[in-house]
Amino acid sequence: MLNNTSRRRPLALLLALATLCALLLSGCDMAAPSQSSPHQPSQSLSGGAVTLDQVPPYSGEPYVVLEDNQPAFTQEEITDESYESYSPLDSLGRCGVAMASVGQDLMPTEDRGSIGQVKPSGWHTVKYDIVDGKYLYNRCHLIGFQLTGENANEANLITGTRYLNVEGMLPFENLVADYVQETGNHVLYRVTPVFQGDELVARGVVMEALSVEDQGEGVCFHVYAYNVQPGITIDYATGESALAEEEDAAPSASSPAGEEETHYVLNTSSGKFHLPDCSGVASMSPDNRQDYTGTRQELMDQGYEPCGICKP
Amino acid sequence: MILILCVDDRGGMLFNRRRQSQDREVRRDILAMAAGRVLRMNPYSRRQFPERELPAVVEEDFLQRAGPGELCLVEDQPPGPWLPRAEQVILYRWNRVYPADLRADFPPPTGEWRLAECREFPGHSHKTITKEVYCKC
Repeated sequence: MLNNTSRRRPLALLLALATLCALLLSGCDMAAPSQSSPHQPSQSLSGGAVTLDQVPPYSGEPYVVLEDNQPAFTQEEITDESYESYSPLDSLGRCGVAMASVGQDLMPTEDRGSIGQVKPSGWHTVKYDIVDGKYLYNRCHLIGFQLTGENANEANLITGTRYLNVEGMLPFENLVADYVQETGNHVLYRVTPVFQGDELVARGVVMEALSVEDQGEGVCFHVYAYNVQPGITIDYATGESALAEEEDAAPSASSPAGEEETHYVLNTSSGKFHLPDCSGVASMSPDNRQDYTGTRQELMDQGYEPCGICKP
Repeated sequence: MILILCVDDRGGMLFNRRRQSQDREVRRDILAMAAGRVLRMNPYSRRQFPERELPAVVEEDFLQRAGPGELCLVEDQPPGPWLPRAEQVILYRWNRVYPADLRADFPPPTGEWRLAECREFPGHSHKTITKEVYCKC
């Protein structure tokens, strides 16, 4: 059964047609239209038909571009009505395609609640020192919480590595969220987990997005994000994992940096932490500055993020 | 010329020929800076300003035409080739990470640019935006 939430104003056929025409002219190509109603989200969600042999092996980048970055939405899927739809779990308990027309009215107005009660397929609670935040797996939202406020929905959560969550998916969610918040426009957004055979852990996710009202001028992408974790080998059939051989050969003898007590400078406004000699510290507003001595992990647990410049 | 750039935590500017982000508070700050000065940009940047009348010179080759002291909003091309002519660079940091396939690579490792000013302000869709002003040493 499709879990479909639809909100907000009536749909606009003209908008969909105009958008399609504009996209065809502007290079945001789209697939041939299907026969379903032009105003309703598809009743059986289908994602970008990507098979793993179409995706290059992971080579150090968290995502790769597919189809020249042109999403494969059909004319019928284009709408300026906000909605979100999630596929039912399959017989193995795995998530399917999740799709939304992200509008401001769907975005969360409250902080995220707990999702620890959801155990996605292949879930294991396992920690490694070499993983940012220690935990190998995160409950990865297919449609990010910041986009639709959908939280502990088992149809929207997969077993994803920290790397997939933070390096692969979050940057795209940020891009879409900012655009919607700034423009008030909608973004058609689809995330398709890609499983190999009967494996319980997805090999990656296909992410597609297209801004509706400006016919893709603001947002247009089609990428595949790898569900990998550098330094860790994953058995995708079960979710079991182990340090990769290189790390076995050079064991964690080197104390993980996150465990060492270090002097950091916190910016209580931006939520970033810095090394004391970072260029961002020198002129930080004194009202926002707080000196801290402790471990990196403690700061991460408090919700602080490392500065992108000094990379503490 | 004075280059104005917006970058993410990794120096990113664009992904798939589209800006990574925008914020109305940055636009407001740019327009405040431009009061009484020349502000230049190309048509792509012009479209993010909703103002019907914008006190800006909009041309595709705005960088070639820019003179000393003129503000140039650079969004869709690397700033590197223009740095030798620039007197200042104003960098707005989004303090978030986005996908990127074009990066600013600023400041360059040559060390000729000095951070002269830095301040933070809340954005509309960004919790905190950092504005940095770099001058040539």
